[in-house]
Amino acid sequence: MIWVSWRQHRSQAVACLGVLAALAVYAILLGTSMRTAFGQDGLITCLARSQGTGCRAPIHAFTDRFGSEVNVAFWSVLLILPGLIGVLVGGPLIARELEYGTWRLAWSQTVSRARWLTVKLGLVTGGLVVFGAAMTALITWYRAPMDRLTGHFLPNVYDFEGLVLTAYILCAFGFAVLAGLLLRRTIPAMVAAFIPWLAIRLVVEFVLRPHFQAPLTFNQVCPQNGSCFGGEGLGIIPPVTGHIGDWVLGSGSGQLANQSGNTYLYQPADRFWTFQFIEAGLFVLLTAAALGATIWLLHRRAA
Amino acid sequence: MFRFRLDGSSGVPPYLQLVHQVRQSLLLGYLREGDRLPTVKDVSSDLAINPNTVVKAYRQLEHEGLAGGRPGQGTFITATSSPALPEEQQALRASLEEWLRAAEEAGLSGEEVTALIAVARHDLRKERV
Amino acid sequence: MTQNDAGGSAPALRTDRLGRRYGHVWGLRDCTLEVPAGAVVGLVGPNGAGKTTLLEMIIGLLQPTEGQLSVFGETSQAPMAARLARVGYVAQDHPLYRDFSVADMFHLGRAMNPSWDQQLALARMDALGIPLKRKVKSLSGGQRAQVSLTMALAKRAPLLVLDEPVSSLDPVARLEFMGEVMAAAAGTGLTVLIASHVVSELERLCDWLIVLTGGHVQLAGPADDLTDAHQLLTVPRATPDAELPGLVIHRTDSDRHSTVLVRADPAGLAAQERPGWQADPVGFEQLVMAYLQRPSKAAARDDTAQAAARPGPATKAVTR
Repeated sequence: MIWVSWRQHRSQAVACLGVLAALAVYAILLGTSMRTAFGQDGLITCLARSQGTGCRAPIHAFTDRFGSEVNVAFWSVLLILPGLIGVLVGGPLIARELEYGTWRLAWSQTVSRARWLTVKLGLVTGGLVVFGAAMTALITWYRAPMDRLTGHFLPNVYDFEGLVLTAYILCAFGFAVLAGLLLRRTIPAMVAAFIPWLAIRLVVEFVLRPHFQAPLTFNQVCPQNGSCFGGEGLGIIPPVTGHIGDWVLGSGSGQLANQSGNTYLYQPADRFWTFQFIEAGLFVLLTAAALGATIWLLHRRAA
Repeated sequence: MFRFRLDGSSGVPPYLQLVHQVRQSLLLGYLREGDRLPTVKDVSSDLAINPNTVVKAYRQLEHEGLAGGRPGQGTFITATSSPALPEEQQALRASLEEWLRAAEEAGLSGEEVTALIAVARHDLRKERV
Repeated sequence: MTQNDAGGSAPALRTDRLGRRYGHVWGLRDCTLEVPAGAVVGLVGPNGAGKTTLLEMIIGLLQPTEGQLSVFGETSQAPMAARLARVGYVAQDHPLYRDFSVADMFHLGRAMNPSWDQQLALARMDALGIPLKRKVKSLSGGQRAQVSLTMALAKRAPLLVLDEPVSSLDPVARLEFMGEVMAAAAGTGLTVLIASHVVSELERLCDWLIVLTGGHVQLAGPADDLTDAHQLLTVPRATPDAELPGLVIHRTDSDRHSTVLVRADPAGLAAQERPGWQADPVGFEQLVMAYLQRPSKAAARDDTAQAAARPGPATKAVTR
């Protein structure tokens, strides 16, 4: 049954390897040139010396050079890419059998439907975890120099490093498998799974994530006769808190007692992994619910 | 090897068609004593018919003394065949030809002759019951 | 080696008031049968009559809503794998994985069936001239049908179920396909169940018959026994049904005479015969057509009335 599951998903596995290979080529090229530039621009020594507060010029030179490629080009594609991969792998898993009538062949061999499904799901899920981990590792590697300047709490970085990328793929996969069983057609299943996945993705990212833990408040003291730099933009390095890697959420309410200044809400950099676990855990839970429902429904129809 | 054929639209039960073909071939000399008939499996595969039908035909041939099964070896023709009909059949054949000539002179068509024969056989069967 | 050694003397199929409901509609109801091992069974009925429902319950793809079912002694409560091992199945349109090669399909068979006979599968492909490396999508319709059949036969299950196996094949492919099925039946004592709505082809294939209309069994039993139990009567037009012996199955009225197909044995018939009546034996196809044309409500009503009077089904052992 393991061989059968592998053989049925062989072409999908090859496609995924292709995607990884293309990404690897791009990542190696970009990552190498970023590392070279990082070393050459004197950023290493500058950061070691002053935590970035005195290095604005070389930092801006670096981000101007590599920032657009890293931020814009990838982000919109990579936002939906985990969802696409998940539904493309999960949609046909059951739906294709129902659509083409091959379920009559598959489920009349000497293997119960439950075993057929659990072996398949186990193998494919495992494959997707490996794929997600590899993709995360590639992206984390090539982004390493930039991450030293921006930290990885910013949304467009956070989404692809750590645990969440794999979890996003698994969730889309789980939704698509369940949709395939319910709708019995591959393409409608893929669409019906992608839309809620995307909705949940966006809600979690923009509404829930900033509040996984209560944000801290930072009081920015403005110099008497100087101007205060605003602190809310994504491109501000270092952030207004003065610590690279903090995620500034926006202005806080309240005013300072004696001095003029602004207050900001932020999540400190050391909460990154906690947040990753929370968010990944949420999506993995959704995956488990979807796949569990699929197994139960299939068992109930056969029994 | 002897090959059977089947006429699906003839109205004659398949097993009888097989029996007739063996009888016919014996009369014509195409089958001789000692010849082996094809296996049940080969016939049923060739003609796409139920193996039981073939078994039935072979049993009928055994009953008529035309063929016999040897365990493990197959079914073999046992009757001695000769191109000439036995004397009784020759006599019947002669009277039949006479009758047919008379029917033709009376103006009966070929179909009417066949229908007349069928009715007569039917009445004869009823008499016996 | 005989297939039905696995089941001993258990009948190939036994059902007891088997039924399956889809929502509010009964696809099959009150189905009671006992089919002996080694029979070649024709399951006839119009589309929507319940043939596929019955087959899927036999195979294990569908669970009964009511009643009992057992295949070579394995009931519908038995573990799924044990039930699935009893039946080889060729579905309509012969589904296969189009991207697989023939060798891949056999690998699947081997991986999913402990009883898989790879030698048999390879020998059949060799005899039919189908290359193992060729992809399923490159095979002709007739070749795909043969590969599907091989998948079912190499499983070495004692019961083979074919659902409209030749409806998509040209005449030559049909003959070759059914020839292979008959050869398998002859060689191994396999029990075969063929669902079809083409009556004319079934006569030379089947020695057992089940007629289904409207989700109910109209007729079931060994083909020879059934044809012997029916007569075709030619009677004067004015003769009412009540005066006719046995049970009227189908009546055709002309100006001066009626042709009536009745279920009555020759003894009962002889007792009631009148001058001007003629009795003839019934052919297989005539018999099936008459039952197919009978309204199913009439059938159900008559059957309950006649149930006590009818003799029990003859389970004649079939020998090859």
